[in-house]
Amino acid sequence: MQTTTQTPPTSSTELSDYKIVPRRHYGRLLSSLIILGLLGALIHAFANGDIEWSVVGRFLTAKAILWGLGNTVLMSILAMILGVVLGVVFAIMRMSSNSVLRYVAKGYIWFFRGTPIILQLLLWFNLALVFPTLGIPGVFEARTVDVMVPFVAALLGLGINQGAYTAEVVRGGLLSVDNGQYEAAMSIGMTRLKSLRRIVLPQAMRVILPPIGNETISMIKMTSLASVIQYSEILHNAQNIYYANARVMELLIVAGIWYLVVVTIMSFGQRMLERRFARGSGRVDH
Amino acid sequence: MSFIVQGKSVVKKFGDFVALDHVDIDIENGEVVCIVGPSGSGKSTLLRCINQLEKIDGGGLWVDGELVGYRIAGSALHELDDKQIARQRLATGMVFQRFNLFPHMTALENIIEGPIQVLKRSPQECREQALELLERVGLSDKANAYPVELSGGQQQRVAIARALAMRPRLMLFDEPTSALDPELVGEVLQVMRDLARSGMSMIVVTHELGFAREVANRVVFMDAGQIVETGAPEEILMYPRNERTRGFISAVLN
Repeated sequence: MQTTTQTPPTSSTELSDYKIVPRRHYGRLLSSLIILGLLGALIHAFANGDIEWSVVGRFLTAKAILWGLGNTVLMSILAMILGVVLGVVFAIMRMSSNSVLRYVAKGYIWFFRGTPIILQLLLWFNLALVFPTLGIPGVFEARTVDVMVPFVAALLGLGINQGAYTAEVVRGGLLSVDNGQYEAAMSIGMTRLKSLRRIVLPQAMRVILPPIGNETISMIKMTSLASVIQYSEILHNAQNIYYANARVMELLIVAGIWYLVVVTIMSFGQRMLERRFARGSGRVDH
Repeated sequence: MSFIVQGKSVVKKFGDFVALDHVDIDIENGEVVCIVGPSGSGKSTLLRCINQLEKIDGGGLWVDGELVGYRIAGSALHELDDKQIARQRLATGMVFQRFNLFPHMTALENIIEGPIQVLKRSPQECREQALELLERVGLSDKANAYPVELSGGQQQRVAIARALAMRPRLMLFDEPTSALDPELVGEVLQVMRDLARSGMSMIVVTHELGFAREVANRVVFMDAGQIVETGAPEEILMYPRNERTRGFISAVLN
């Protein structure tokens, strides 16, 4: 305390002569240094470990890997579309005044949330054991083993399971919309279904989208479970390669890199979508 | 004489609570009726029964000559389905206390939504009509504003335009100014006043006794689910005969 005093300066112009010293965030600085150090150690360990990085580089764009990547993305998108469609339908059924629809929806959600996804995949894949043929007698019939190829079994297993979860997400979104919106929609002559489609669902999207984005990302990784029914997604193909060349770690890293790339792109897309559905909410999220 | 609304012994219950207790009401075409009364007296419920946001438990309601919610066949009343109820609702336009504009649509989109989606009119025609309506409620410059960018008074005026776009035969107002800041009440009442002058049939649930006195052809006082007194505005508001009416009006004025 030499020259400083706590009395206010006589005029406000005097204050503007002072230099503002920003607050120092020593904690942030220190923790950043620690994290950088640990990261460095990790990179060092992997660089010197028994990993052939040239193998990683070579297989990153191998045909089988890219083919598997394509299948992973395709299956994620298709299963998610099926899941969202089923989710919306069953959420609306679950909230219907029709008790038959309500109980059907409850049963669906109960069954498909209540059993492991891997079990459901195996059930679909082995459906031929129960029903050797599928179809309507006289109209068309097919051997189940010809229909339930890995692609179809994976799509049904993943999509229908996803629908059960999405139904609950959508229901939460629909409940979040003010009842006055239904009333306003009906007061201009809309039926209940049209009110849902034109007025309530678009508003519910703001609440529904973040968890759906989350589940899409989770779906990308869940497709790897379809490897147990021989669907040739990226992990399945990576495994097939390392069974042959014994480069286990290298191929797992290749698959890991591709998963991260896809998930990063998806996260970006999710942000764009959320911004679009935030219209009129008076809030822009960053 | 033709009636836009006729109610015969209308009963509405919520559980054990009797919201409407054998209400009889007749409203003529072109009439402006203000319903006043303490909260919980059944005013809003009556309005909501007229456009079928609530289903009545007894008696009968006719709107624009049609029995509300049922079809008569022989000696039986058949409940109408969702589509038919939606069609019956077209006779009435509703303005809510809390505006209930669609927040994900601009003012213009709010107004053209019903005409395009329900009445299947051409988008071009609907847009022109909407701009005319916006001008009528004094909001020509707000066509592309989202509800969140509008004041309460402006939102309520858009809501009135949205209801008018459906060309209803009867407009229902459920405490249209109760959620507004005091300085915004006037602009909404002005729009309603103009509408009344244009010959529109209106039922207004309100606490604005000044508005009722100036605009209404008739004032209805309700209490405890019953219509206690009905008559010309000066009659009800200045010289009420009933004890309960007197009590309510002096409470509101003081």
